[in-house]
Amino acid sequence: MSRARSYLWFFAKRLGTVVFALWSLGSLVFLMIKVIPGDEAQIAAGPDASPDQVALVRQRLGLDASVIVQYFRFWGRLLHGDLGTSITTFQPVLLDLERTLPSTLELVVVAMLINLSVSIPAGLIAAARRGGRTDGLFRVLAVILGGMPAFWLALMLQYLLAARYRLLPISGQNSYGMEPPRWTGVPTLDAIAAGNMASLLDALTYIVLPAAVLAVLYSTQIFRALRTSLLGVLESDFIMAVRAKGATERRVLIGHAFPNSINPVLTLAGTQLGAMIGAAVLVETVFARRGIGTYMFNAVAQKDMYAVLGSVLFIGAIVCLINLVVDVLQIVVDPRIRAAQFGRS
Amino acid sequence: MSLAPAIRMRTPRVKISFQGACVSLLIALLVFAALFGPMLAPEAIYRSDILSSLQPPSAAHWLGTDDQGRDVLWRVIVGTRTTLLSAIAIVTAYSLIGVAVATIAASGPRWLDEALMRVTDVGLSLPSMIVALGFAAALGPSLQSAIIAQSITGWPITARILRNVMHQTMEAPFVAGAHVIGVSRWRLMTRHVLPNSLDVLIVKWTSDIGGTVLILSSLSFIGVGAQPPSTEWGAMIAGARGYVSTAWWTVLAPGIALAITSVAFGLLGDMIQAWRDPSLRESR
Repeated sequence: MSRARSYLWFFAKRLGTVVFALWSLGSLVFLMIKVIPGDEAQIAAGPDASPDQVALVRQRLGLDASVIVQYFRFWGRLLHGDLGTSITTFQPVLLDLERTLPSTLELVVVAMLINLSVSIPAGLIAAARRGGRTDGLFRVLAVILGGMPAFWLALMLQYLLAARYRLLPISGQNSYGMEPPRWTGVPTLDAIAAGNMASLLDALTYIVLPAAVLAVLYSTQIFRALRTSLLGVLESDFIMAVRAKGATERRVLIGHAFPNSINPVLTLAGTQLGAMIGAAVLVETVFARRGIGTYMFNAVAQKDMYAVLGSVLFIGAIVCLINLVVDVLQIVVDPRIRAAQFGRS
Repeated sequence: MSLAPAIRMRTPRVKISFQGACVSLLIALLVFAALFGPMLAPEAIYRSDILSSLQPPSAAHWLGTDDQGRDVLWRVIVGTRTTLLSAIAIVTAYSLIGVAVATIAASGPRWLDEALMRVTDVGLSLPSMIVALGFAAALGPSLQSAIIAQSITGWPITARILRNVMHQTMEAPFVAGAHVIGVSRWRLMTRHVLPNSLDVLIVKWTSDIGGTVLILSSLSFIGVGAQPPSTEWGAMIAGARGYVSTAWWTVLAPGIALAITSVAFGLLGDMIQAWRDPSLRESR
């Protein structure tokens, strides 16, 4: 098989997996709707609906048909972007999700930046001082921080830094009156777009704590992966050659070992991106950011099932697509993985 | 009788490190709390006593009292049983599913193997906590729902790892030997290949208990798991979150218990791994 064809085949297979995953996800959500105890029409119409309204909803959702017919109708609605209507906001769930997604993505992106900018230097330092006191301290810290529940850390830091010492705002996304005109829905980007520095700084003070909390667990993972990877590379022959040439330790580490150890770390960071969207749900609710997590939290509290399951479907789909993009990017970026997949290049 | 080469494990000289001592102590404490906590706890922690609510830590209440005037330390101790038992139930349940999937995949025909592994791929590519959240919400928020939800979403990693290991084990000479003397394929897989492949998973299951406790508490915190006044730690934090600025101790204690549990089981997993695989013993 030619190279081009094997590339195409690879992407087709990946895409097939994603389509299969999305189909499974949709079917799982259909299953979830079916296992909800009680009358589905009543649930869709909300607990306060009158019998007439319930009957209307039952007819509109076609709940008198057989399960198989319902399943196909469910997919018909899904493919038209109809995730049902929220009984608390009275809006289509998809519209609510589109409105809340940018805030969540902002949180995840900022958290990823914090994650990498903390864990990579820490990994480098620990590997340089292998077995030393700094290395030991970092490793113990990684173990302890990695075991903390994110939502609890969020609550405790919110109490300490925001409520008690008033260093940072407690919750929300902007101070009153500082909100930039909505364009993307991402407070920091909107502030930049409006050219409003004060508003940008304001939005940053609101995001730094939630993002840092979200970053903690993932930075401990990156730290460990980078350290292990670096120590492995530092033992290889070419490093000995570099040392023999008389390169300084700093140059050995940053100029030679680091570029050769970064790949597993980037792979891990890619898989973390999806996981972080899931974890953002927890952190958001503590800080009352207007993202999907808070939306979902409120929906659970209000027993707004279409909103809950719509969010599950939406987040699952986004994570699937992110995983696909990360997979493909990895192939594009790393010649070694490319070679493993497609033979010698 | 197993046909695996009968290698007697030489009992390694047990050298107890500082870390090993700490982890063992923590696990022993957790197990003790889970076994005897509910028996020893004073009756008052199940009743509300509004007059003594939200008291800061004192000699009478070492970690203070919550909004209902109940002793926080005792509630955390009592919650150990709920939390640990739930986590063990979840890990056991999804491990059984994972083992079943892996065994069928490894011993069945090729197309079945391929099909099951594609399904496993899907399970791995979906955010398991979010799917578990959906199931728990659909089943009706409760501890049982959270346990069921996590059990049916947690198996893919086990299935993937085990299936790959089983394929490796099938290359071993003793398997060929068993095949030659006419052991049926199913018996070969379940009685010989599977038991000789479970090694890797022991480590994973141990550290999984720590991670499972965290996810379980997260589900409770979001509101789809255990509900207050349950003593499950996540539910305790969820119930106390409204008081964090006036009574920080109500949130602090269950969170520390969660962190200790997840760290202790994570480290226990590492220790078992190092013990089973001497090449890892040199700290890396």
